[in-house]
Amino acid sequence: MPRVHLMSDHRRFTNGEAIVESEGATVGAVIAELEQRYPGLGEALTHGASAGVNGVIHSEPQYLAVDPDTDIYFVAPLTGG
Amino acid sequence: MTVTEDRPTYKWVGTRPIRHDGYEKVIGKARFAADLNLPGQLHAAYLRSPHGHARIISIDTSTAAGMPGVKAVVTGADFPDLDPTDPNFDVSVNVMARGMALYNGHALAAVAASTRAEAAAAVATIQVEYELLPVILTLDESMADDAPLVNEHNITRFVESDGPSNLATANVLERGDVDAAFAAADLVVEREFDTAFVHQGYIEPHGCVVDVGPNGKADIWASSQGHFMVRSLTAAILGWEPSKIKVTPAEIGGGFGGKTTIYLEPIAARLSQMSGRPVKLVMTREEVLRATGPAPASQSRVKIGASNDGELTAIECWFGYTVGCTNDLAGLIGAMSVASYKFPNLKLEAIGMLTNTPKTAAYRAPSAPQAAFAIESVIDEIAQALDMDPIDLRLKNAVVEGDPTAMGMPHPRIGFVECLEALRDSDHYRSPVPDGAARGIGSGFWFNIGEQSSATVNLNEDGTATVITGSPDIGGSRTSMALMAAEELGIDVYSITPVVADTESVGFTDVTEGSRATFSTGMAVVNACRELIEELRARAAKILGVEQDAVTWVDGTAVADGHDPLPLAAITAKAKSTGGPLTVTASLNAGGAGPSFAVHCCDLTVDEETGQVTILRYTATQDAGTAIHPSYVEGQMQGGTVQGIGWALNEEYVFDDEGSMENASFLDYRIPVASDLPMIDTIVIEVPNPAHPYGVRGVGETGIVPPMATIANAIARATSTRMTSLPMSPPKILAALDTP
Repeated sequence: MPRVHLMSDHRRFTNGEAIVESEGATVGAVIAELEQRYPGLGEALTHGASAGVNGVIHSEPQYLAVDPDTDIYFVAPLTGG
Repeated sequence: MTVTEDRPTYKWVGTRPIRHDGYEKVIGKARFAADLNLPGQLHAAYLRSPHGHARIISIDTSTAAGMPGVKAVVTGADFPDLDPTDPNFDVSVNVMARGMALYNGHALAAVAASTRAEAAAAVATIQVEYELLPVILTLDESMADDAPLVNEHNITRFVESDGPSNLATANVLERGDVDAAFAAADLVVEREFDTAFVHQGYIEPHGCVVDVGPNGKADIWASSQGHFMVRSLTAAILGWEPSKIKVTPAEIGGGFGGKTTIYLEPIAARLSQMSGRPVKLVMTREEVLRATGPAPASQSRVKIGASNDGELTAIECWFGYTVGCTNDLAGLIGAMSVASYKFPNLKLEAIGMLTNTPKTAAYRAPSAPQAAFAIESVIDEIAQALDMDPIDLRLKNAVVEGDPTAMGMPHPRIGFVECLEALRDSDHYRSPVPDGAARGIGSGFWFNIGEQSSATVNLNEDGTATVITGSPDIGGSRTSMALMAAEELGIDVYSITPVVADTESVGFTDVTEGSRATFSTGMAVVNACRELIEELRARAAKILGVEQDAVTWVDGTAVADGHDPLPLAAITAKAKSTGGPLTVTASLNAGGAGPSFAVHCCDLTVDEETGQVTILRYTATQDAGTAIHPSYVEGQMQGGTVQGIGWALNEEYVFDDEGSMENASFLDYRIPVASDLPMIDTIVIEVPNPAHPYGVRGVGETGIVPPMATIANAIARATSTRMTSLPMSPPKILAALDTP
């Protein structure tokens, strides 16, 4: 199952767990499954976080395909100058 | 130039042709935002708040409306009130105040008249009744338990919030056990730092001309870092459909992050709609400084532990950014930008706090310079304490591919070690430090980003090409696009005309930020060219009477066994008979932006009688990935360095107690000029980004990250005094030297 790495504020939904596993073929499906287990987490991840997958940070990752061995790092949104 | 990884040998990529836009800019023909004038055009002027924080009880524009030449007057009441949860709410209230003046300089009203003098005279008659409110100017004031609200609509982003507050954002990143690591460390250095608000200092003030026709269609000519962004934000603020707005990009005289948002266009559009005339609105320099986004001020605490052999074992940081009168992401990004060293134990906390100061904006690598100033200063102090060469200490701890970032995600292929090694081996670093001078080293990191870009490539009947993109040419993107197209198509770079098209003539393209134009838009150009080559092979196959698979594309010609090579022009000349015009559009949402590192070296002297710092020699290295046009890359590195030197030594917003900026001119807000500095030497490191067809990383931002610490570290070695407050201006240096 994809491993999801959470930022500190998101861990309030997971009893402090920094890394959780979740099923899903896309980042959006992973988020939906997490919402089932940790109500509120899905909303927090959908609105306000970007996701680092395979070394690339995506600002709108919901339709991004992931494999069972994918690590998903949710990070704060990035801007640039 | 140092090439550190093997890459193909290119014919055009990596060369230095004269820029395609050079002629028009040299002779003064290029049109910047203020250069456009339309028949019947009106001129607009602002009324701005003279108070740092006030409730607007009433605004009486009746006298102004009747003044000579006046055709239209607007206040916040002439714009829709967006819901505070709307993502464009903050920009909307910054463009024109609604009920509250949030900072000194906040726009309250605007007048359009036949001349600018008439507009200014009318502005002077507008009567505003205020209820003055407490003015919050500093991080400490904003964080105080009993601090009044800076902005009653601010809701903390990204963390749990139970109502309006002065906290914009907060972020915590952790790994390992910092307490245990500090307890076990041989050496622990802890320091506090602060930096001032600084402005991007672009030479061209914000400006636009807007013409709203009787059909409600708006034509906007504006200088920005992204005209699709101008269209989107203007539409959102006015409540108009984006399709009713066409934005034509003017040439841009510098942005550096400060033109990734808008200030003028909705106001000029509403004035034009009300008056039925085109309206020109151009800021003065004073307005640019008082009312457009500076980079946040900051305070920070940095604690780093190390072993006696120079292994960095733990880092604990707290960064506080003052983000101005509306929410901003600085507090989130600052913590994430700590990415250069293999700290096994790490705790990074960052917050952004609101203040009654102008809404802040990005400045090249937003939030990173403030953090790097603090961290790289402490790193240098550790090197001094351990009597280690500062480059050797960094090399011992530098991140490489696979090492975790502060967020935990592994770094992709990066070139930090290559930058350090190149500087270590440079003529500058191998030369003795001049008598009476001292040398400092500092490094920096920035992510770079991808996002959406579009490009259209048209082949003309004479075998030339037009490359059309939607990225304003801020740092040389026209010629960079032409170079990549020339490489792909196999034709001369001057056979290509690069065009930056308006919002109705090219596909959507995100704002130019995050060093993304050459990376993302370049990728769109390459994709379009490759698709075009497939079509050229098909057309050549028709002409030659062979199968397409028998045709290869070699250096601008179609080649098939048994036939003479068919030049591009021979194919385009027969476009009609072989299938019609040869044109391809490509669009993408680019992933894989390559992070960039930089390492700087500075020799300087400090006059201990005056506090004056003189830069004697400065060398900047940076991993650019493949340098498409090396002169542009070097220019970005030099520009970022010089802006960082200004940030380090001179530049700061000076406010009075009411939040009025006291140095709102380039006489008093002193950016470096050529006579202040030596030539900035550059060493371009090329570790190609594997996610880009030519290995581009993007170079526009990282160069501003290292200079502040580089200079502070040199000053520390020159004076045995560690400067922890920016700017390191002569009075501050004298005060520090006088402190026992």
